[in-house]
Amino acid sequence: MSHALPFCIVIVEEWLNVMQQPPLVRFEQIAVTYPNGVQALADVSLDIPQHQAVSIVGPSGCGKTTLLRVLAGLEHVSRGRVIVAPETRLAMVFQQGLLFPWMSVADNISYGLMVRGASPQQCRTAAREWCDRMGLQRFIDVYPHQLSGGMQQRVGLARALATNPDILLLDEPFAALDAQTRLLMQELLSDLRAQGLCGTMLFVTHAIDEALIVADRVVVMSSRPGRIITDLTPDFAGGRRADQVRTLPAFHAAFDHIWQQIKTEVSAQMHEGVL
Amino acid sequence: MSSSRWLSLVSPLVLIVLWESAVAFGVLNRVFIPPPTEVAVELWVSLRDGSMMDDVLISAQRILFGFLLGAIPATLLGIWSGLNRTVLLLVRPLATMLYPVPKIALLPLVIVVLGIGEVSKVVTVAVSVFLMVVIHTIGGVLQIDRRYFEAARVFGANQRTLLRTVAFPASLPAVVEGWKLAMGFALTLIVGVEFVGASDGIGYRIWQSYELYAIADMMAAVCVIAVMGWLITLILDEVERLVVPWRHTIKESRMPLVRTWWNAVRPWSYTAAIIPVLLGAAIAAQSVALNWWYLVLALIGSIAIQGGTNLMNDYYDYRKGTDTAAVKGTGGALLRGDLTPTQIFWAGIIAFAIGSTIGLYLVSVSGPFIFWLGLFSVAVGYFYTAGPFALAYVGLGEVAVFIFMGPVMVLGSYFLQIPDVAWPAIWASLPVAFVVAAILHANNLRDIDTDRLNHKRTLATVFGREGARLEYHLLVGGTFVSQWLLIGFGVVPWTTLITTIMVPLAWRLMQIAATEVEAAKLHPVLRQTAVLHMRFGLLYVIGWVVALWV
Ligand SMILES: Nc1ncnc2c1ncn2[C@@H]1O[C@H](COP(=O)(O)OP(=O)(O)OP(=O)(O)O)[C@@H](O)[C@H]1O
Ligand SMILES: [Mg+2]
Repeated sequence: MSHALPFCIVIVEEWLNVMQQPPLVRFEQIAVTYPNGVQALADVSLDIPQHQAVSIVGPSGCGKTTLLRVLAGLEHVSRGRVIVAPETRLAMVFQQGLLFPWMSVADNISYGLMVRGASPQQCRTAAREWCDRMGLQRFIDVYPHQLSGGMQQRVGLARALATNPDILLLDEPFAALDAQTRLLMQELLSDLRAQGLCGTMLFVTHAIDEALIVADRVVVMSSRPGRIITDLTPDFAGGRRADQVRTLPAFHAAFDHIWQQIKTEVSAQMHEGVL
Repeated sequence: MSSSRWLSLVSPLVLIVLWESAVAFGVLNRVFIPPPTEVAVELWVSLRDGSMMDDVLISAQRILFGFLLGAIPATLLGIWSGLNRTVLLLVRPLATMLYPVPKIALLPLVIVVLGIGEVSKVVTVAVSVFLMVVIHTIGGVLQIDRRYFEAARVFGANQRTLLRTVAFPASLPAVVEGWKLAMGFALTLIVGVEFVGASDGIGYRIWQSYELYAIADMMAAVCVIAVMGWLITLILDEVERLVVPWRHTIKESRMPLVRTWWNAVRPWSYTAAIIPVLLGAAIAAQSVALNWWYLVLALIGSIAIQGGTNLMNDYYDYRKGTDTAAVKGTGGALLRGDLTPTQIFWAGIIAFAIGSTIGLYLVSVSGPFIFWLGLFSVAVGYFYTAGPFALAYVGLGEVAVFIFMGPVMVLGSYFLQIPDVAWPAIWASLPVAFVVAAILHANNLRDIDTDRLNHKRTLATVFGREGARLEYHLLVGGTFVSQWLLIGFGVVPWTTLITTIMVPLAWRLMQIAATEVEAAKLHPVLRQTAVLHMRFGLLYVIGWVVALWV
């Protein structure tokens, strides 16, 4: 009994916290069925508080992209609802990059600003600033296809961040990159977060280590139709520097835990002959 | 030159030699198939007497008008149908149905409706161009990857922005492809149309030589058509480079050639070359009827010399090492390595040569005064940055520009119309002289720090920043004040007061120049001062022209 009181207080405090700070984004029991009958998501509920970076991992085709598209307003839910705090600005980095091939790097980066009515000078200034930050100074006036894959994704990231979004959605942004470029990009993203940019984000990936390194919290989805099967917030005490995190025992424990989950999912599917 | 290009040159040559010898040895009958040499002679004769050129120009005109008349609405309608299902359902079936009809079959119908005349020929071309472009454009818009629209929507683009930033640019490659095909088609078609329903044009020429059995003339005309087709392809390729630059940088990561040169010769600086000439003529027009031919020649000559000056300026700035990447807006092509210094140099020489040839002609028709003036102008142009006493490097840039691009040029243009050194023309040129000097000074004000580092002496580096600001104010202010004074003295007509609408812009520029120190912030001042010059100059000239009636 003597322990119950502090415990209750903790719960009340938690509850107060939740009340004071409603999540930036709340998925409430959403389901998505595509017109062709494919059910991509079944009953997904997820809260994303401000300043939290959430990774989503799951087997291929489980509906990760669909989840992001729902949030971005590109897909309708068949059931449930998505609540987004008012005045929330979204930005997205796409799985295939999707830079506009007819625009220079500068115009791509400042696209979101241009759409919101920024003047050409403001756009140019922002583009220059982001090129500096991303190490793209020399490429500011070239077209996307003249860039390497890593550079293209940096432009995609800059295009999203230049709008100063409240939440950043990333859909396997580094999946198409070679292993080294990928490590560099992960570090770049960690650095940007350390600078206070892209505070809140939803990061879809199929690489477990990437999920753990980039985000504060990892959500694991089941195979299609996607549901959330694990939601963990690993505590890597100390820095979040990518190269440090990788060596921590907690990192390996979390990695194994997640991998077991996914393996079970995938092998269950194999038995059903879906895969 | 690579070996494949040699081969592509060799094969026609071999053909010509074979053909010539076949006729020479009697394998081919000279009456039915004349040898290349005969065709060449015929071609030369028809070019000399101008008849060939007349026919080419008439056909080209029909093609061009037909093309514009068909392609512009087709492009717009095609984009619209690609984006709107209802329009698509209305347009596409009709277009696909009519598309395979041989367009020449429409000619009689068009003639019945519109009569035998230019219009019916142009319309026949326009119809076929229209169908071709519409079908291609629709295809292009429908093929756009939907995900680009989604990406744009995520960034908050509304319907209109989507159209402008995604639908339109993304469909351009297909549109231009359609233009290219349609243009080739138009050439084929016009020849057919002229066979049957014309009394001039290149097709008519072929038909007529067939009826007269002038085979060599006929072949000459065919060669000319081949050349026309080749030129059209060249032009459209350049158009494509300009319109869809992102497509071409794949093969060669450089700017389209036309654009590279366009930047190198800095066309926006041509208002400085054009306005004084127009002004001189407008002043002369107050007392005589204009000789338009001289005016046009003077304009071309002046533009050529300005272009030459710009190119030489680039070349010598590059040689002297003043143009670093930090100095924006000059010599860009050289710095990026798109053009070599030698190319720039020779282009400058050629531009000067064209300018001086026109100049010499004008001298021959209007006397030695123009000769000295022209010599002076070439000298100023050349010594502006070249040679040991480069004007721009010893602080005389503004003075030279003030005198030369103001009074001297205005008087020169005036003198062509009325051979008399008239003081009113010189006075009337002062406002323009002030504002053109302001352009150069805005440049020097911006570059004051880099110029100091490079020991490039300008009035700005001599006076220091405060003095330079004052000078900018004097030049921009002087533009308007001198004009008002001259109106007061009755030298300049009051109708030129329409320039007053430029006062707010001038005022804003003076304020920016008075407060900013950073080169990046002062760069817009330079561009805007050039805009001020152009607008002020045009309004001033218009004011003079209006005075003819008031
Ligand atoms: N527009 C669509 N119409 C019909 N079915 C679709 C559509 N988009 C996706 N799907 C299906 O929905 C399921 C989930 O797709 P989604 O792209 O969200 O998966 P994912 O987890 O992002 O997969 P991956 O890891 O391969 O990127 C897949 O089986 C896919 O085939
Ligand atoms: Mg996906």
